[in-house]
Amino acid sequence: MIRPLRTRLAILLRSILHRNRLEAEIDDELSFHLEARTADLVHRGLAPREAARQARLEFGATASAKDGMRSAFGLRWLDDTLADLRYAIRLLRKSPGFTTIAVTSLALAIGANTTIFSVANEMLYARLAVPRPRELRILYATGPRPLAVHMTWGSNWDDGGQGHIDSFPFPFYRELQKTSPVEIFGFKDFGNLNVTANGVAQAVPAQFVSGNFYAQMEVRPQLGRPILPSDDNTPGQGAVVVLSDGFWHQAFGASRDVLGQTLNANGHLLTIVGVNPPGFTGAESVQTSPSLFVPLTLLPQLASGFRDDLITSTNFWWVSLMTRIRPGVSAETTATALSTQLHAAFLAAGKPKPDEHIPAVALEDGSRGSAYRSTTEELGRPLHVLLALSGLVLLLACANIANLMLARVSVRRREMSVRLALGASRARILRQVLTESILLSTMGGSLGLLLGYLCRNTLPRLMQSSFSEPDLNIPFHWTIFAFASAVTLLTGLLFGILPAWLGTREEVSASLKETARSTTRRRSAWSSKSIVALQIALSTLLVTSSALFLRTLTNLNRIDPGFHADHLLNFELSPPVARYPGTSSVAIYQRLEQAIASAPGVSGVTVVSPPFLADNMWNNDFDIEGQPPIVYNPDDPGQYPSLMNVGERFFAVTGIPILRGRAFGPQDTATSPAVSVINEATARKFFPHSDPIGRRFKDDEDKDHVKHFRTIVGVCANTLYNSVRTPPGPIHFDLYATQKDFRGATFLVRSQRPVSALVPDLRDIIGRIDPDLPMTNIRTQRQQIDANLHQERLFAILTSSFGLLALLLACVGIYGIMAYTVTQRTNEIGIRLALGARRAQVRSMVLREALTLSILGIAAGLTLVLVLVHLVSTILYGLRPRDPASLTASALLLLAIALLAAWIPAQRASHVEPMKALRHD
Amino acid sequence: MSRQVDLLQGTLELLILKAVSLGPLHGYGILLRITQFSGDQLIIQQGSLYPALYRLEASGALATEWAPSENNRRAKFYTLTDLGHRQLALESERWREMSRIIGAILKLTAPTLLPERIG
Repeated sequence: MIRPLRTRLAILLRSILHRNRLEAEIDDELSFHLEARTADLVHRGLAPREAARQARLEFGATASAKDGMRSAFGLRWLDDTLADLRYAIRLLRKSPGFTTIAVTSLALAIGANTTIFSVANEMLYARLAVPRPRELRILYATGPRPLAVHMTWGSNWDDGGQGHIDSFPFPFYRELQKTSPVEIFGFKDFGNLNVTANGVAQAVPAQFVSGNFYAQMEVRPQLGRPILPSDDNTPGQGAVVVLSDGFWHQAFGASRDVLGQTLNANGHLLTIVGVNPPGFTGAESVQTSPSLFVPLTLLPQLASGFRDDLITSTNFWWVSLMTRIRPGVSAETTATALSTQLHAAFLAAGKPKPDEHIPAVALEDGSRGSAYRSTTEELGRPLHVLLALSGLVLLLACANIANLMLARVSVRRREMSVRLALGASRARILRQVLTESILLSTMGGSLGLLLGYLCRNTLPRLMQSSFSEPDLNIPFHWTIFAFASAVTLLTGLLFGILPAWLGTREEVSASLKETARSTTRRRSAWSSKSIVALQIALSTLLVTSSALFLRTLTNLNRIDPGFHADHLLNFELSPPVARYPGTSSVAIYQRLEQAIASAPGVSGVTVVSPPFLADNMWNNDFDIEGQPPIVYNPDDPGQYPSLMNVGERFFAVTGIPILRGRAFGPQDTATSPAVSVINEATARKFFPHSDPIGRRFKDDEDKDHVKHFRTIVGVCANTLYNSVRTPPGPIHFDLYATQKDFRGATFLVRSQRPVSALVPDLRDIIGRIDPDLPMTNIRTQRQQIDANLHQERLFAILTSSFGLLALLLACVGIYGIMAYTVTQRTNEIGIRLALGARRAQVRSMVLREALTLSILGIAAGLTLVLVLVHLVSTILYGLRPRDPASLTASALLLLAIALLAAWIPAQRASHVEPMKALRHD
Repeated sequence: MSRQVDLLQGTLELLILKAVSLGPLHGYGILLRITQFSGDQLIIQQGSLYPALYRLEASGALATEWAPSENNRRAKFYTLTDLGHRQLALESERWREMSRIIGAILKLTAPTLLPERIG
């Protein structure tokens, strides 16, 4: 019966829209009826007045007839709902505290969960934006250790005695491609190229891709053409580039004339042939796209010349490989076939050492990009902890809503009994409560939606370092929002309806009597109390974790880096090989160093590589003269001292004290005997019983694989090196002036001038020397340290705000339940006081109850903490996971808050006037 | 006046449909026609007539139109729609069936009422 429904809706709509006309028509129709009846009666001989009276009498109550007519049109329902809504709004406005807390906690819970789930979803579960991403497989070279693989550029890891390498030598890739039953495509994420496009020099990330990459990814450029096999066949042939959608917008303003233009990348001219579609991120990451896509065989030319045999070497493993497993093709068979081919290619190129294994090929899921493994390794744990914490907040908010609704319904029991007694139906009262719950939930939900929408990009920004480009864009997930909303809203509805349902089931008279004369502690409050205890337990968990993370952060912040980190600007420069081959790269750094030193307000400048506290490590052999060389142990890479290549004025600029011997000086040049300064840890580890000054060691090989001696001229104090978390270890400092090739190093500029004023001056100075050299990663040393601690800070910030929210909610919960109990027990208290109880006794009676509740909750919470804390132990620093100080402090804080919250109701109880209380009701 | 009978629950709408099926009528006209059909034996609560009319209108069985009445006053006239015709036929059939069954039951005499074993 579709038509009646449609008619019904049409009628309802018409009557809503033309409500006044409808009311007038009802009046008209009824008065016509009465007039006609009167006329008939007059006709039968009655007097007009008597006839009118008679007509009205026969008709009965017009009001109820009108009501019947309205409800026939569905208007009654609408009117009731509107009335409910008005009533609910009035009630909510009457208790702004309740409303604010309920709405805010809902909003925060929904917002926080939407945000964190969206980010986690994007980081952990999103797939590449290509057709049928699940078909993509990454190729790994894998086999029992030791593998016959010695030089890699990529990531290697061990997994139960099995070595894994995510890259292959270029000739093997070509061999596999030729003989394999499936199409194999290669790529390499290169990091930054120095690019001058449209006259602006900047460092932009590039991905080198094979000629069949686009065909296999099944991605079509939105403009122009993709990189084709013909670009990639002969090394150095196809000087072409495809832009990412983002870079096209940023550097070319999305101009369609971009095709055919050229850009300068590391000193080479590349012709722009295409623009990727938006959303396509290449093969490495799902979240961010490299700006440039360049033929793979162009890499040796554009790469900083650290190896010139990339294309020919069969023992340098560097190309990442992927394939598509089409439906109907077995992945195992393919892997076996590829392994056989790799084996053959390996043997054709040379023989492995007797104890080494030739790796086989393993195929693993490539749908999340090749960087997925490292992303999850880095972010998986923190994200899961955050997910768990925000889940707790959601639970807490639910408990809070439940508690608030329970207390509210209990308070309104009397009102409901009165309404029942006056003839309201139970359904009608339930509907009213439901309307109120829905109103509250909708308010909280919409605020939460706003919060979640605004914050979805904030969290990833917090997770990145402050100075890197925030190019993540987390899509807003409606499903996640819907889930979080549904959970909280359902809680609100359930705990709003349930007590009302139970409450209205009672006999009206019983309820009226009971509320009037309740004398002792009410059993029916137990559910509220257990919810409050749960709230306190959850709060303990959140407050303790925030205490642990805050202590971790302060511990880490308190660490002295060992050098003067204030007023020290860091930035990188990377002279490309094409313009600065070989030692001229060293010369340009020296030239820039001098130029910057003369800048106004600069009190010192030096160059370092790698920079401090940027998670970069460098080490080399350390063969001490007169001692057997250190045997390489793959389980302990820290057996060699770390290396830092530095400028001549390094120690003066950083303020690292020299303990013995001397720092570098003008006498140490590229041609003078090579020297080195070691730190105290190196001296202690490698020269425990002798004076290191004057001793010699060999480290790196030169071009002809000959190692040269360096003489130790000084010992400096210990400093941190790659990470704040890693305690100072052995480091030796070499002069970069003695390097044969030096790139990608970091400038340290000491100046009291503000960064915003200093940087443009520096940019001018550098631009005058080479306009194609961009300054990258400009940050202060403090920002660099902060970035090194960003994960710890994120945890501290989030858990503290969660903890604070939890405290607030628990506080409200305790206050609410105690205030409620005191109101309920006013009679009892009055009797006690009348019988001679002292006011202090009454107060402590209430406080004692709150205390019992809190201690129960805190004990449960602490137990949870002790059980769960090992999950975060690797994230903590400088304290034991079951840190007694944090646990005690959190417990005491919660106890104090609980007592504070209970104080007001306790005070109120102790001020009860016996006479008034007994007359109450 | 002869003995009057209160209307059975749920029959008012059927009577309205029947009354209107003979031609457009306003509310008061419907009341008169039903009373007239019943030979003044049925009492119709005038107050409940209008909600019933509105329910039928909302369900699409009746269409309405404002037009001048016999004494030239504006009145709301009800006519039967196609749906109303079908509903009338259906309801009449159901009524006849019901009254046949109930009539049959009421005609039963004592012996046939002896308990039958069930199951």
